[in-house]
Amino acid sequence: MSLVSLFLDSAPQLGHGLLVTLRLILVAAPLGLVLGLLCGLSCVYGNRLLRTLAFAYQLSFRGVPLIVLLFILYYGLPHIGIRLTPFAAATLGFALCSGAYHSEYVRGAILSVPDGQMDAGRSIGMSTRQTVFHIILPQVFRKALPGCGNEIVYLIKYSSLAYLVTLVDLTGQARLIANASFRFFETFFIVGLIYVALVSLATSLLQLLERRLRLPT
Amino acid sequence: MMSSTAMIWSGLPTLCRGMGISLLLVASSLSAGLLLGVPLGVAHVYAPRIVRMPLWIFDQIFRGFPTIVLLFLVYFGVGSLPSVSIQPIVAVILVLGLRSAAYQAQIYRGALEMIDRGQSEAARALGFTLTRTIVSILIPQAARYALPSLSNEYSILLKDTALAFTVGVIDLMSRAKFLAMRSRETLIVYLLVAAIYFVLTHGGIALFRAVERGVAIPGIGPQRARRQL
Repeated sequence: MSLVSLFLDSAPQLGHGLLVTLRLILVAAPLGLVLGLLCGLSCVYGNRLLRTLAFAYQLSFRGVPLIVLLFILYYGLPHIGIRLTPFAAATLGFALCSGAYHSEYVRGAILSVPDGQMDAGRSIGMSTRQTVFHIILPQVFRKALPGCGNEIVYLIKYSSLAYLVTLVDLTGQARLIANASFRFFETFFIVGLIYVALVSLATSLLQLLERRLRLPT
Repeated sequence: MMSSTAMIWSGLPTLCRGMGISLLLVASSLSAGLLLGVPLGVAHVYAPRIVRMPLWIFDQIFRGFPTIVLLFLVYFGVGSLPSVSIQPIVAVILVLGLRSAAYQAQIYRGALEMIDRGQSEAARALGFTLTRTIVSILIPQAARYALPSLSNEYSILLKDTALAFTVGVIDLMSRAKFLAMRSRETLIVYLLVAAIYFVLTHGGIALFRAVERGVAIPGIGPQRARRQL
């Protein structure tokens, strides 16, 4: 059986897995971005309490492996009566983890906007909030995009950990196919290539977005 | 019948042994990545196109495949070939080492490209050979540029070693799973493991930062390293 026929035979199963993986990413990525944006904003503009909380969140979620976080959510929380479905646990874990990384890029981007922008906004009569939303944030989006895009690419690859909390995603289907066909090398190679394709697709979309958003200098 | 708290206490030594294995995995993959990554990084910059093509394929596989797929590919895939038997720990070091080499090659490439052209021109003008220039002028500077990214690489690698249990290495995670099952205190055990990884990550990063400060030369190299985890 060649690589091609193995691929054709397992295509329906791989398709199912791919759908699960895509759903995971499409739910977790925007959630993570929102979380990262809120946390990044709190790091810079929040009051003391909010700042401390945001920094604590950043520090702790970036210091712990994603898999440990998933195990806490899926195997640990039922101990205190909170039961999450595998899908909920995985998306929540992905969002929390990537949010912590996004927030660092957002914070960096906010700090890199010159102070004069805020002064200018205030001096033409805008409130601080208005200045942040209409003047600072549009610049922040552009500056944070490369870093955040990178983080989304990481998320695509690490979505494969969902399989370890019993979700049958692309990696999970690969295990099933490999165990049934005994073609371990080929199966995991094909699945690896699918991830590479997803990553390349995401990278080119992000580059396109970056080009669209670029301001003439 | 032991209480679950007592059971966790008595499980601490085995957790520590698992932690030892995890640290061993990090240290060996980081050094394997260093040994392979430096020549790869130089090749990215200086090698002819014919060498860079296979390099590109290597890069796509080791940076594009998820870690866990790579682990399964090597442990179950290569390991299932006739006449090949591969120890779990060898598979993990192989995968993480090559993966880290691919990432570190990018770090060193960036670092080499960051050095001012005038540096090598000046060295050549003083009569240094090309090799001597690379070894005595370029690499000492590139190393300083690379250090901040290297601490980032350490933290990524440490977190990736937490996946070693999926191919049967008895590391911190697998000890924790066992302890969680035995004591039934899943939440506490995994929180404890999270705390251990937290300390290892941030402790390691602090160590890297100390080295960075120790070897810094005022006016040369990264002036204010951009901090990322």
